[in-house]
Amino acid sequence: MTILHNKRLLLILTLLVVVGALLALVFTSFTDALVYFHTPTEIQAASSRLDGKKIRIGGMVQAGSLHKTPDTLQVAFLVTDGSSQLPVTYEGMLPDLFREGQGVVVEGTWRHGQPFQAATVLAKHSEDYMPVEMTEAGIEKARQSILKTLQ
Amino acid sequence: MSAWIEVGHFAALAALVLTVVQLVAPLAGIGLGRPVWIRVGRQAAFGVLLLLTVACAGVMASFLNHDFSVGYVAGHASRELPIFYLATALWGGHEGSLLLWVWLLSLFAAVAAWRHWSTHPLSMPWVLAILGATVLGFLLLVLFLSSPFERLFPPPADGRDLNPLLQDPGMVFHPPFLYLGYVGFAVPYAFAMAALITGQTGGEWILATRRWTLFAWAMLTIGIVFGAYWAYYELGWGGYWAWDPVENASFMPWLTATAFFHSVMVQERRGLFRTWNLFLIITTFALSLLGTFLVRSGVLSSVHAFATDPGRGVFILVFMTVILLFSFGLLTLRADRLKGEGQGRLENPLCRESAFLFNNLFLVVGALTVLLGTLFPLAVETLTDSKVSVGPPYFNQVFIPIMLGMLLLMGVGPILPWRRTPAGTLRRRFLIPGLVALAGLGGGWILGIGHPYGLAALALCLLVLSTHLDDLWQGTRARMRRDGAGALSALGRLVRRDKRRYGGLLTHLGLLVMVAGFIGSGLFQEERDLILQPGESTRIGEWRLTFTAMGSAARHNWVADEALVRAERGSLVLELRPQKRVYNTGRSQPTTEAAIHTTWLEDLYVVIGDPVGETGRAFRIYRNPLVAWVWWGSGIMGLGVLLALFQGRRLSRTRAVVA
Repeated sequence: MTILHNKRLLLILTLLVVVGALLALVFTSFTDALVYFHTPTEIQAASSRLDGKKIRIGGMVQAGSLHKTPDTLQVAFLVTDGSSQLPVTYEGMLPDLFREGQGVVVEGTWRHGQPFQAATVLAKHSEDYMPVEMTEAGIEKARQSILKTLQ
Repeated sequence: MSAWIEVGHFAALAALVLTVVQLVAPLAGIGLGRPVWIRVGRQAAFGVLLLLTVACAGVMASFLNHDFSVGYVAGHASRELPIFYLATALWGGHEGSLLLWVWLLSLFAAVAAWRHWSTHPLSMPWVLAILGATVLGFLLLVLFLSSPFERLFPPPADGRDLNPLLQDPGMVFHPPFLYLGYVGFAVPYAFAMAALITGQTGGEWILATRRWTLFAWAMLTIGIVFGAYWAYYELGWGGYWAWDPVENASFMPWLTATAFFHSVMVQERRGLFRTWNLFLIITTFALSLLGTFLVRSGVLSSVHAFATDPGRGVFILVFMTVILLFSFGLLTLRADRLKGEGQGRLENPLCRESAFLFNNLFLVVGALTVLLGTLFPLAVETLTDSKVSVGPPYFNQVFIPIMLGMLLLMGVGPILPWRRTPAGTLRRRFLIPGLVALAGLGGGWILGIGHPYGLAALALCLLVLSTHLDDLWQGTRARMRRDGAGALSALGRLVRRDKRRYGGLLTHLGLLVMVAGFIGSGLFQEERDLILQPGESTRIGEWRLTFTAMGSAARHNWVADEALVRAERGSLVLELRPQKRVYNTGRSQPTTEAAIHTTWLEDLYVVIGDPVGETGRAFRIYRNPLVAWVWWGSGIMGLGVLLALFQGRRLSRTRAVVA
């Protein structure tokens, strides 16, 4: 009977250790992998606090701001939310739907006092499906303020 | 011409009335002791199927007739859309997909009412009512909150066309398979609920629905892999799985369903895990619903966009809440009946049932991981002002260890005996596989696989492969001795005797092939972004690629820039033609068409970007090792399930008696 009990105890212990390890794995990975979304205005307010953090920035590509370095895949552009602008650089192929005057989300590590180097650029996917942040206030605000300047 | 849509709409409304009959009549039959009412409920299920078939046909006919007075048709088709996509645009958007969903559900309800009528008379009224209630819920959504039957006035001259990304055979096949999987779990769920209500809390409902579960699981697997394959060749980013919420939504029920049909074996054999199995089937069905809603409600593109249409959101939340409260409430109420009937307890860490326990643990934690990563951003956005995303690193970090743990269990579980493992058996059965795994570890190291996960996966895959082959060999040899037959015919007899077990083992081997694909393409992918002038070459792996020239291509509804790229490896010379397409109608977005050359060891994957300077062009080139193994592996898994499906119920019954 003691042997039986010991075995059952062993089973329960193994179970607890495995569950514990798995949950620890889930939660440590989880907190590391959260990427917060900011508008250019928010970033200017919190630039030093965000230093070294992985973030997403959403807004519109400022019309006329896209600059391609000749014969390279280097691009630079401004992301605007209507009230402030943020310079972004990126090296690589831009997505099909990347346009001036269109919504964009860029992801990368924020370095206080340096231009933002994007590791990933996401453009609006289609009319029906788009990255979550694309419908955010930042873009709507940008569109409204641009309409205002046109009027 | 536009009469079709009205016929369809009317049929759907009539079906709504008839689902109420399907829901109420069987219950009244039980309450009043009038079996004829139960029969009425059965006929109603057949009627609902017929009417919903007419409803789907109505929408489909409107597409084929270019009836742009129908809002849904105008939004998802145009005069230029090829007929192949016109006929299948029914499930190209939210509204039509939900209609397809509810049609499949009514189909399965009718099949269940037909096949299980005489074999499961006690459960049948409840099964009819529960499936009727589910169809009713979805029909209300389809008819009043997300209607594909709505008309536009005045009708536009032409439609907005189907999104070019959806104009692909992938769109034709991927959603129906996925839905067959989702909807397929409704039948086992209904039987489980019926078992709880009638108090037959033994394993009858599991035996009754074994084939349904296997079928649904196989369809879900095919649907998911089809989606991955489609993303791979259509989206042009060189990968097939991005832990996108849409993908996660289909992966969660897959994980819990996999846990379910492993743990039911413990109930069949030992009578354990009764409550747990009910919990798993409820969860699987709930996650199938959640998956449909997540993808089809618009909540993923934005919580705010979703909130602007509060009717749909509230309905969905209420529907889910009702189903969860009903199911788990019933489970709690009946918990007393589920206890005390088990045959003994789980005593031993090293036996088949413990392996299943750990298998379930890993799969359920996996499902929780995905659920957390998928819903957390939605919760944050709803409850606070900030927005957050959970990237692939999280999922990969958690899932690779889980996958390795599953591989280990897969290597030992199937050959551990039930109840307890004597030390002699352990040594005899695991000595050689263990050595093979160690040899794989060393061999992989020598071959230059430096990544610890890669090495661990290689060793564990070899462990699984050798225990499975050894098991097959032991069985064959025993049969050869007993029957004096040749190896092949002995093997054939062995497999025929227990199709379920060997189907399962074949499914494991299929997964093994897939894992090899995951490891190869995940850890050893090479990617290069570069600019090429005409005539310039580059190297990737053993390939030498030369950008020859730009050309163009056209079909009647699109035009494309096309790069001509010569790929050479040794004496092999190929021409690849990656494109950037622009579809004529409505939507001016360009789409990327990757050029892919598949060999059994690797894929060469070429995408073109924007022009650079006068003549140059941006290219992105991938070398994806073993990626095709992912697709083949899923095919082997499908064959394994097919084999298991042929197993009749006889074996399970004799086994239950023996145990």
